[in-house]
Amino acid sequence: MQQQTPAKKKKVKVPRVVGGVETMVEIEVDDEGGPEWGPNDKHTLLNHRLTRVDAPVKVSGAALYTHDRRLPGMLYGRVVRSPHAHARVLRVDASAARRIPGVRAVVGATDEEVVEGSNKAAGEAAKKNRTEAGGAEAAAGGKVVLFAGQPVAAVAADTPEVAEDAVRAIRVEYEVLPHVVRAEDSMKEGAPKVTPDPNEQNVEEREKRGDAAKTEAAFAQCDVIVEAEYRTPILHHSCLETHGNVVEYRGGDAATVYASTQGTFTIPSDAAQELGLKESAVTAIVEHMGGGFGSKFGIGIEGMLACQLSKQAKAPVHLMLTRKDEFLLAGNRSGSWQKFKAGATRDGRLVALRATQYRLGGLGRGSQAGQPYIYTAANFYREVFSVHTHEDASRAMRAPGHPQANFAMESLMDELAYKLGIDPLEFRKKNLKDTAYHRQLDRGAREIGWERRNRTPGGGAGALKRGMGCAVGTWGGGGNNQCKVDVTVARDGSVTVAVGSQDLGTGTRTLTRAIVAEELGLGINEVAERIGDSRLGNANSSGGSTTSASLSPSVKDAATNARLAVAAKVAPLLGGAKPEEVKFAAGQVSAGGKTLAWKQACAALPSAGITAHGEWKSNLQASGVHGACFAEVEVDTETGHVRAVKMVQVQDVGLPLNRLAVESQINGGMIQSLGMVLYEGRVMDAQLGLQLNPGFGDYKLPGSLEIPELVPLIDDEDKREAVIGVGEAAIIPSVGALANAVFNACGVRVRELPITPDKILMGLTKGGQTA
Amino acid sequence: MKAFEWVSPASVGEAANLLKSAPAAKDVDDAARPIAGGQDLLTTMKDYITRPARVVNLKGIRGLDRIEPDGRKGLRIGALVTLAELEESAEVRRDFPALAEAAHSIATPQIRNLGTVGGNLCQRPRCWYYRLEEAVCLKKGGSECFAATGENKYNAILGGGPSYIVHPSDLAPVLVALGASVAVTGADGKRTIPLEKFFTLPSEGNIRRENVLRNDEIITEIDVPASGFAAHSTYLKFKERDSLDFALASVAAAVELGPEKTVKQARIVLGGVAPIPWRVPKAEGYLAGKTLSADALAGAARLALEGAEPLGKNAYKVPLTETLVRRALAKASGLSV
Amino acid sequence: MADERDEGRRKKNLPHDPSRRRFLKGVGVAGAGAALAEHLLLKSEAEPTASALADASTRPVEGALNLALDVNGQRRSVSVEPRTTLLGALRHNLDPPLTGPKLVCDMGTCGACTVLMDGKPVYSCLVLAVDAAGKRLTTVEGLGSPENLSGVQKAFVEHDGLMCGFCTPGFVTTVSAYLKKNPNPTLAEVREACKGNFCRCGTYPRVFEAALAASKKT
Repeated sequence: MQQQTPAKKKKVKVPRVVGGVETMVEIEVDDEGGPEWGPNDKHTLLNHRLTRVDAPVKVSGAALYTHDRRLPGMLYGRVVRSPHAHARVLRVDASAARRIPGVRAVVGATDEEVVEGSNKAAGEAAKKNRTEAGGAEAAAGGKVVLFAGQPVAAVAADTPEVAEDAVRAIRVEYEVLPHVVRAEDSMKEGAPKVTPDPNEQNVEEREKRGDAAKTEAAFAQCDVIVEAEYRTPILHHSCLETHGNVVEYRGGDAATVYASTQGTFTIPSDAAQELGLKESAVTAIVEHMGGGFGSKFGIGIEGMLACQLSKQAKAPVHLMLTRKDEFLLAGNRSGSWQKFKAGATRDGRLVALRATQYRLGGLGRGSQAGQPYIYTAANFYREVFSVHTHEDASRAMRAPGHPQANFAMESLMDELAYKLGIDPLEFRKKNLKDTAYHRQLDRGAREIGWERRNRTPGGGAGALKRGMGCAVGTWGGGGNNQCKVDVTVARDGSVTVAVGSQDLGTGTRTLTRAIVAEELGLGINEVAERIGDSRLGNANSSGGSTTSASLSPSVKDAATNARLAVAAKVAPLLGGAKPEEVKFAAGQVSAGGKTLAWKQACAALPSAGITAHGEWKSNLQASGVHGACFAEVEVDTETGHVRAVKMVQVQDVGLPLNRLAVESQINGGMIQSLGMVLYEGRVMDAQLGLQLNPGFGDYKLPGSLEIPELVPLIDDEDKREAVIGVGEAAIIPSVGALANAVFNACGVRVRELPITPDKILMGLTKGGQTA
Repeated sequence: MKAFEWVSPASVGEAANLLKSAPAAKDVDDAARPIAGGQDLLTTMKDYITRPARVVNLKGIRGLDRIEPDGRKGLRIGALVTLAELEESAEVRRDFPALAEAAHSIATPQIRNLGTVGGNLCQRPRCWYYRLEEAVCLKKGGSECFAATGENKYNAILGGGPSYIVHPSDLAPVLVALGASVAVTGADGKRTIPLEKFFTLPSEGNIRRENVLRNDEIITEIDVPASGFAAHSTYLKFKERDSLDFALASVAAAVELGPEKTVKQARIVLGGVAPIPWRVPKAEGYLAGKTLSADALAGAARLALEGAEPLGKNAYKVPLTETLVRRALAKASGLSV
Repeated sequence: MADERDEGRRKKNLPHDPSRRRFLKGVGVAGAGAALAEHLLLKSEAEPTASALADASTRPVEGALNLALDVNGQRRSVSVEPRTTLLGALRHNLDPPLTGPKLVCDMGTCGACTVLMDGKPVYSCLVLAVDAAGKRLTTVEGLGSPENLSGVQKAFVEHDGLMCGFCTPGFVTTVSAYLKKNPNPTLAEVREACKGNFCRCGTYPRVFEAALAASKKT
């Protein structure tokens, strides 16, 4: 062991997620010593198929989510939303609401409170939540609401019904101002200005990169040129558990906040500020949470209002957004509008690409990976802009900016390939430097039977036509050094691993337990985990697919230290073996030919047991994953109906901690892509400034009849003995693959998502092209 | 949902009186409402599209939940029969297959377990604007139909104006095709209304309503007569999302065939494309006496959509519905054309 | 575009004409809002009536009602308003509550609130609590407990039929009822039975596997 010598240091770049925004920072870490995972095929629990340790409570309804918290004297909160996309709040009169028996608190209900309270809160929350944006757009509003759905007040009452009545009894007078909710309209001269901030224009330049002149000149060398525009609408995270908190403050100097969040440790500071308490006096609890997908960092406007209500009533307040609230004010995946001119040579080289990229994130900046995405173009030039509209600010959503970029770039690559008459798969390989993609594309092609694809798009007899498409994607997935883990082994043999991190449904609880159990040679159910509590060891927020790669190294380190600490105590019973020679396997502790059962061994521990601490080790994780997806669809060319038949996705992930959970993540990515490509999209009325589909009846998530045969494949050719996050990677390549499969099937290139029957039918009548 | 008073009478007459005796409402959508399965009514109440101060429960009334032979090979279907019961009824499946298919096509198993036949016929329109509380459109007492020039992808291509809603019922096109009628009881007595005359166009009836029912009237029964074409009937519903969706377009078709594939008579009713179930007599007449062929079906399909006037974003419904007409006729007559 | 044709159908509107906003309904903006508030006051001040449901057959009842719900084999008394949904009664009004069924869409479009009413799956967000009195109700908690899981629940665990778990109680309930009705279904039948339940994490394939596996064990 190297513990005695001072550790050498090295500098590594790690992702840091603040409010869902991922930035890379350089940190110093130990350069030697510490544990290693060992070969990926030598694990006893990891890299196996582990059922979730929290599954029994979830399948039986016993799991307590924030929505499910019931506390003595608890009130129910609701927000009052602006029905106008752009308006000045003239007056808020809550007198009638306050008279309703059972109404206990109203905030943001006087002129002063609107200015200082909820609008300030809206701005603050928007800043914190606006993971893809900066600036002060929502905050600068002051008395002005900037999107339909923006909270202007909130109430708390004895029952949900009375809270609803109170919301309706609050009278708000607005001076309606001109609005703009469409990018094209926002860009027009004389368009209503979206934010009052004089420094913030409706269209803002984000990036210019590449060589415009060289790219323009390079088009002359091209044998084929494609000019096309692609669009994707604003999407909704659609977390089944809406955003919200239960704020328990009963007066005094401490509070507990139960939060549906992706960052346990993002809650106390936010809540403390609203409650006027010390940060250390606020405990955040995240026992189970019902989905976040990038939208749940910080306490949010709903949490700020809940704190204000709880403070006013001196009683716990349960404020979970309604589904309609959730659609209107809980963030979105920014839409996109991407214009290309691209050219290639006959031998299949992408020679020139010019892109104009608009990010459509409402009040937010939106996000969009820069083109040509992961492809290599000899010459390229891109200009990237944000176009603002009177809609809630975009937030991070599973792989921010990548699905949008993937749809456009992979469609464009497909168009070029067909124009050149080259197999789209081969065309991709010619323009992808990293051979991991080649390997994955070849495997996916074998798996789906790429040779069966429609040789002529739209070809074949009959109304039902099948086709295939493929695409690739990438993500980071490395971790950072924020997790502090403790493993306790009690004298009775019970083992607990504790860290404040949260489980979004990704399997954090399971992997945490499994690492410790494997290290100590125990069964997974012989270890208990405690997570989701800000009183436990610090942990990073679950954004940027950083959870596994941040958490598992610290857990491994803590487990290793626990093993050595137990070994040191037990060694005298095992003929005085050195601690590192003691073997822990199959519930037994052995050395020098002697064996003790785990409980016997633990009897040698001091009465308080042992507690070992773990810190992040950079060598236990890595960054950078590749994925390739193939999709097969069937298009009814007489109705425009698309049925996804089969999807195959190959994904590398370094060391898969839990194969079952990784496969489920890949499935989930493919299914969310399916939603994006075929069904989902916010619909706004340009003149009313209102969203027309703020509910699950009209915002269509894929359901049981939409799901194709799914084949999630972990790419075990990736031999990295390191943990890499995969959550976000999984949603990317399937977007392009599905869209391209539709073209291959029916010959209609739909350049605007979602690819719905109307677009296909109109495309067929126009001979294969749609706007 | 706004608070309301609840009453659960034991007879249809009492129910009608309770609807009539409710305190006068300021707006038609504040008036007392009957509730059966509640699968649509409650959604409109949750969104404050309807705000009844009194809700009259019909499920305490006996005898409205049966499917019985009418003695002339037709069926009498109680208004409280659930969609699941209709779908699973052996008689319905055998004698009126289109009706079973239509019932099966509705929403989800959970909704079909509670939703009733009467409620399905009386459900309120589907239109993004109508269903959005903040948009006070023509149907809700406002002065314009926002769908006319707005986001009208799902709106009417036939029979529209001044409102462009579509009627969402899946049973209605089939029941119109089968020549069904509804028995209705009000505070002032009973009447029987052929279903074809039950639904009203926005340009004809009360723009705030979709049928001829007075506020105190309750559907008690649907009478589906025997006919030469009932056994050869089908319902095709096209959804954007198969799992749960309303029809972008649907077709109820019934065909009575003579010798040599000749059509004695045909019924074709379109759903999801007009404010009411849209019968197309011209297409029906065209088929009479014709030998069924691909050309005949295509001709009927063209005629069925002849008068279509698509809005800005729903021209696709024309070819889509034509396809459904052809396919429905082929299926109803057992042909592969 | 065909928009030009539409012009005749409706008077032309300027794109950003604020006056058009008069058609927009503010939340509680004067007028109707004031009347609404007064109405609410009247209702809320009404004395809670401890009426048996039988009263409702002869005269309208309002305010607080005391009901008995037959849930998971127990008779549970609960005080609700006529507008309280069964889901609301289970989650908020019962003490202790049953929070297995989840409030997700509140519109009968997602299935997370599915419970069994006389053995049949229904959306408890689209049932009034007063309407559920006298029915045999089963929630996911009534199907099994973490210590004593039902066969379907075990299959969900074994086949990873869940991720965040928020839709899971609804799926478990729907599948449990369906397998009673059809103990040996095909994949297509399972999909059809589940079409009223939606998941965002993307657990469908494994829900189907779990349902089929559970059917083979029964």
